Amino acid sequence: MRDEIRKIQELMEAAEYVTDAPVATSVHLAMRLRKPLLIEGHAGVGKTEVAKVMARMLGTQLIRLQCYEGLDAGTALYEWNYQKQLLHIKLHESSGRSAKEEEREIFSEEFLLRRPLLQAITQEQSPVLLVDEVDRADEEFEAFMLEVFSEWQVTIPEIGTIKATHPPYVILTSNRTRELSDALRRRCLYLWIDYPTYDKEIRIIERKVPGINHRVAGELARFMESLRRMRLAKVPGVAETLDWAHALAGLHADHLDETLVSETIGCVLKDADDIKRFRAEVQKSGVASFLHISG
Amino acid sequence: MARSLAAAMARFGALLRRQGLPVTPIQVTDGVRALDHLDLADRNEVYLGLRAVFVGRPEDVPTFDRAFDMFWRATTEADAVAEALMPALPEEAPATERESPRESLALDAWGEDGVDEGDEPLGVPAASEREAMATQDFATFSPDQLDAVYRLTVQIARRLARRISRRRRPSARRGRLDLRRTLRANLTRGDLIDLRFRRRKRRKVRLVLLCDVSGSMDLYSRFLLQFLFALQSVFSRVETFTFSVHLTRVTEYLRTRSYREVLRRLTAVRDWSGGTRIGESLAEFNRRWPGLVDRRTIVIILSDGWDTGDPETLAAELLRIKRRAGRVIWLNPLLGNPSYEPLTRGMAAALPLIDQFAAAHNLAALRTLAGTLRL
Repeated sequence: MRDEIRKIQELMEAAEYVTDAPVATSVHLAMRLRKPLLIEGHAGVGKTEVAKVMARMLGTQLIRLQCYEGLDAGTALYEWNYQKQLLHIKLHESSGRSAKEEEREIFSEEFLLRRPLLQAITQEQSPVLLVDEVDRADEEFEAFMLEVFSEWQVTIPEIGTIKATHPPYVILTSNRTRELSDALRRRCLYLWIDYPTYDKEIRIIERKVPGINHRVAGELARFMESLRRMRLAKVPGVAETLDWAHALAGLHADHLDETLVSETIGCVLKDADDIKRFRAEVQKSGVASFLHISG
Repeated sequence: MARSLAAAMARFGALLRRQGLPVTPIQVTDGVRALDHLDLADRNEVYLGLRAVFVGRPEDVPTFDRAFDMFWRATTEADAVAEALMPALPEEAPATERESPRESLALDAWGEDGVDEGDEPLGVPAASEREAMATQDFATFSPDQLDAVYRLTVQIARRLARRISRRRRPSARRGRLDLRRTLRANLTRGDLIDLRFRRRKRRKVRLVLLCDVSGSMDLYSRFLLQFLFALQSVFSRVETFTFSVHLTRVTEYLRTRSYREVLRRLTAVRDWSGGTRIGESLAEFNRRWPGLVDRRTIVIILSDGWDTGDPETLAAELLRIKRRAGRVIWLNPLLGNPSYEPLTRGMAAALPLIDQFAAAHNLAALRTLAGTLRL
């Protein structure tokens, strides 16, 4: 294994992020090849976390662009501060300056509202740009973003062209609620993060919830593994595991039993039907069945 | 060495392409560049690195794995790598059809019969015939009339699409400054105080279609799909599923140019044997694609409600959809018949849970439907 990749793994672990070779390799290549990294996976498997850790690792700023339906170029790039411009004009009404001067002034950087994409290309040091849940944005926005990514420059008619001196590292995340375009996929490195394996989940629990009993951590990981095999409407992610672990640590639990589970299952199952289904399953075969993997 | 690596990577790219992955020259270049940053002695690392470069979606991983194993045959020592890179590949890839796996998958899902009928002339029925056509039940057209009805369907849908997208309203809330309106609003004041905004980009509605393609329903499903496909620019997204015994996501297949061709094949997949399992199909939808439905989504189910499954499952799963969706519309072509009553167990279980119950048995019904596809 490359030293750099090992180093990334160590740095990520030091930044409280439990990682594995696929994640570290992808991050390494994304930084070296200077390509955007597209991360997909179920909700709650730690996609966003990768960007945060990357920023911490590089000692640089994290700039986040949260996507939603209807997000447009203006909101993502820049807008003029209309109110401030109008106030400014009003305040200087009697100063007798020409309209031209006035115009130059109100269309200067002072009146520019920098949105995440513009922020990302005007930094002193390459930041990490996190484009979160890109699948929620419309396809037109995807195309617009690709355009920005290919040049790393933006033209504002009143000011001129701004070109990034330090282009950002880009991480995109998607929950796959919609298929992203092939154009976007082709321009990115790709990483699929699945639910953690049993061992990885134990490591995550013990890393993030230091007060937890070792046995409970093991049982929890096993339990989650069984839960995820059930047909649930909302399959619990790692965030849910950690909530549960925190709760159990707070209760000083030293093992999982039926009462404890039924009192705290709300930490991981957040859908009434799922809980009903879970309780029926427990009635039928007991909590113990969740602690053994049947195969 | 560098050159042979590049050549090997190009061959690897060609192999992937033959296996159906859409590999671009840029990806090949990236592959070469990636090797610079990877430990060539570590097979797993090379694998993970190249996977990040060449694979764009999880479904492609098995294909990539096979190609990788084929190409980068076992080698663990650094010296052996260059050697392994160079000759390895047999020029002819093991027999795969020319079609990519996804295409053939599409064909599987839609049945055989890939006869290409080419582009048909754009004949459109005369105006006098059109109104008669609009109110005639789809099922009563003769096969040779169907093409004309199709074209009319598309025509109507396009016209509707244009009309709908023209509708825009000013807004009191934030968005871009609407200069003209602002000036007018402040004319009497001599000052620009009261700002007017143009509404933020209109958030379009998303559609999720679940079409019954069993028995007699497939004809109606085809018309509905055709109609909504032509209307799709009005929506932010149209996700399409078909079901009879099982649920199939067909969104991707329908995105191709040969949409109509694909649609026509729908008739080939009649599933007379198993009956319809709406409840189970909805359950599968809820389980596998929970993220597709939200408050901005209209869910449309087209079925006659002849469910051979358990009505309770149907009710429970439909409720689950209803809770998340903006609106649930159930289309039942039988409703076009005045004497029809929704008495089947499935339909009876579903009725209390749906927001809108409509026909969709002819063009007029589809046109009415289009007018209601708003939130």
